[in-house]
Amino acid sequence: MNSLTVYLFVALLLFCIGMFGLLQRRSLIGMIISIELMLNAAGINFMAFNRFLGPDPAVGQIMVLFIMGIAAAEAAIALSLTLALFRKLRSINIEHARDLRG
Amino acid sequence: MNPVAPSDFVLWLTLAAMWLPFISFLTIFFITRTQLALSLAVSVSCAAVSLLAAWYLLLGLPAAQPPVEFKMLWMAGAEARISYGFLLDPLSRLMLCIVASISFLVQVYSLGYMAGDDGMAKYYSFLSLFAWSMISLVVAPGLLQLYVFWELVGLSSYLLIGFWHHKFSASEAGKKAFVMTRLGDLGFFLGIIVLLLHLGDLSILKLNAQAAAKLSAGLVTASAVLIFMGVVGKSAQFPLLTWLPDAMEGPTPVSALLHSATMVAAGVYLVSRLFPFYAASPDALMVVLAIGTVTMLLSSTMAMVARDIKQVWAFSTVSQLGFMLMGLGAGSYFAGVFHLTTHAAFKALLFLCSGVFIHHFGSNDMYDIARGGGRRLKVPMITITIAGAALAGVFPAAGFFSKESIMGALAGLPQPGWLAAGLAGAAMTAYYTSRLLFVLWFPRQIAAPHHEEHGHGEAAAHSAFGYWAMGVPLLILAGFALVLGFFGDGILNFLHWGRPPEFFHHVWLAPVSLILVACGIGLAWLEFGRKKAAQAGFLSRLPAVEALFANRWYMDAFYRCMLDYVVYGVFSRLFTLNDRRVVDGGVDGVCRGTVGGGWLLSFLQSGLLQYNLFTMVLIIALVGLYFLVMH
Repeated sequence: MNSLTVYLFVALLLFCIGMFGLLQRRSLIGMIISIELMLNAAGINFMAFNRFLGPDPAVGQIMVLFIMGIAAAEAAIALSLTLALFRKLRSINIEHARDLRG
Repeated sequence: MNPVAPSDFVLWLTLAAMWLPFISFLTIFFITRTQLALSLAVSVSCAAVSLLAAWYLLLGLPAAQPPVEFKMLWMAGAEARISYGFLLDPLSRLMLCIVASISFLVQVYSLGYMAGDDGMAKYYSFLSLFAWSMISLVVAPGLLQLYVFWELVGLSSYLLIGFWHHKFSASEAGKKAFVMTRLGDLGFFLGIIVLLLHLGDLSILKLNAQAAAKLSAGLVTASAVLIFMGVVGKSAQFPLLTWLPDAMEGPTPVSALLHSATMVAAGVYLVSRLFPFYAASPDALMVVLAIGTVTMLLSSTMAMVARDIKQVWAFSTVSQLGFMLMGLGAGSYFAGVFHLTTHAAFKALLFLCSGVFIHHFGSNDMYDIARGGGRRLKVPMITITIAGAALAGVFPAAGFFSKESIMGALAGLPQPGWLAAGLAGAAMTAYYTSRLLFVLWFPRQIAAPHHEEHGHGEAAAHSAFGYWAMGVPLLILAGFALVLGFFGDGILNFLHWGRPPEFFHHVWLAPVSLILVACGIGLAWLEFGRKKAAQAGFLSRLPAVEALFANRWYMDAFYRCMLDYVVYGVFSRLFTLNDRRVVDGGVDGVCRGTVGGGWLLSFLQSGLLQYNLFTMVLIIALVGLYFLVMH
């Protein structure tokens, strides 16, 4: 159980779930959660590669910290956009935001 | 004879004669247009210097010296060299003198005629432009330079014919003159291109001397006939003759200039200029002869029924030009040029005299002028009679001698038909000329003399200065019209470098043509002159024929039809269709295609965020797959 493949497989699963959620969910909040999942999948990958292949243990951890910072910033921006959209449309369903349809 | 370079004196003299009128045009047009007196002084003094230079070049140089040629390189190509300069040989010296004299006299005359007209300064600038183009045309050493000034002559006559452009008919007449002459010039230009391609040199002297040897006979004929098309347009020959009578809409001095020495004379001058070239092709000469004959006969008949005094002279100009071309076409260089010379004098005189009448009575109709008391104006009445005698070919006047030489040339032809046509034309000329003179001399009722003012600029014209400005040129020209005939032998010697060809004199010819002229005059006397005459021509008893002549053989109607049905009906329609369907349709199609394409592509923009995301994922997956498979 303690091999690289297992971690990569878990990360792949998590990423696919996130991507599926991103493509399938019509609610903006759901899409944001999915993005978080995908980011965390990337974080798991970094940590796994760092643990099994990396000569220097610090690099992968630094990258994961960066990803967490980015995730926090992204969450702040995405939530505020969602809020703005809700004020305008009284809804956070992405199907209602179709003003740019050709 | 090989040409020689000019001495410094001759060089500057010729350049002065050529360029002073242009300088005067520029000065008046751009600087002094608002100051009338200054403009007139500039124009007339430039014309006077040009006149003196031209007379010196005619008389001051020895007659038999080789041609003087001055050339500067203008353009050079791989095979062709085109130069600018001048060529002084007897023909161009004679013509230069005619042009300078007539344009000077017309300028002096216009001082009286145009006095008080608002555009007088502009008028003088155009006259100067006209003189410059014609003089440069006359002395041109190469065909291309000649062609350039040929077109400039056309332009300036357009400007002058349409000078009173606020009159609709005047601007129409100017346009007609421009377009019809341009038709012929197309042929002229093609002829020049043919010569340039095959000879590589457009020098007139070389063309005359070598064309026959270097080109095939067919090529000489083709290019000569093409060039002759330009002459047909310019000299108002059949079938392009109807612009000239309409050109009467211009001021009368302009008509005098146009008819005697400049515009229409340019055509005949071109044929004389290239006479050895034409003589190399008997077929081309035959074309010249035939066109000249047809034109002469047609326009004589038209002149027999015209009532407008200027129209009569216009038709007579056309027929006299036909006579000149007949002389040239019959192979007599001298006859054509001699008639051109005498015609310049008496035709200018006829128009200037008519101008006095028109100015005084405010009417172009000869019966109106006669009723108004035209014969009380002594100077123009006497001079118009002299000029009319010259035109009709009555013995001591100039026209008799020049017409005799043409008849002599025609009599030398193997077919007697040409001579018969020429004699018939001479009789008709005598008839219509004396018809007009008798109407003027013997009016039926004369109105009491009155001092009603007509026309334009009347106050100034009735002043003594205006009267003499118009009278003196008349007297000078009348002198020429009387004595020029006696210089025939001198001109003959001069033109042929002192070695005239043998002439076969037909002793019987002069009496025969004099009798015919007398018949013409006698008929006119019976109908218009004697006390009980009805003053209606014999043609009025044949209404169909009279209508035919009065409507110019329906040539204008024919052109109108051609224009309506062929040009407007076919070509314009096709071009309009092309414009609407092909050009406009093409542009519209591009627009519609863009709009439609955008409409189709807009379906891709569903506006739903996740479709875009899905496409993105799909593409990245495909790219990933691609790299996976390739490596």
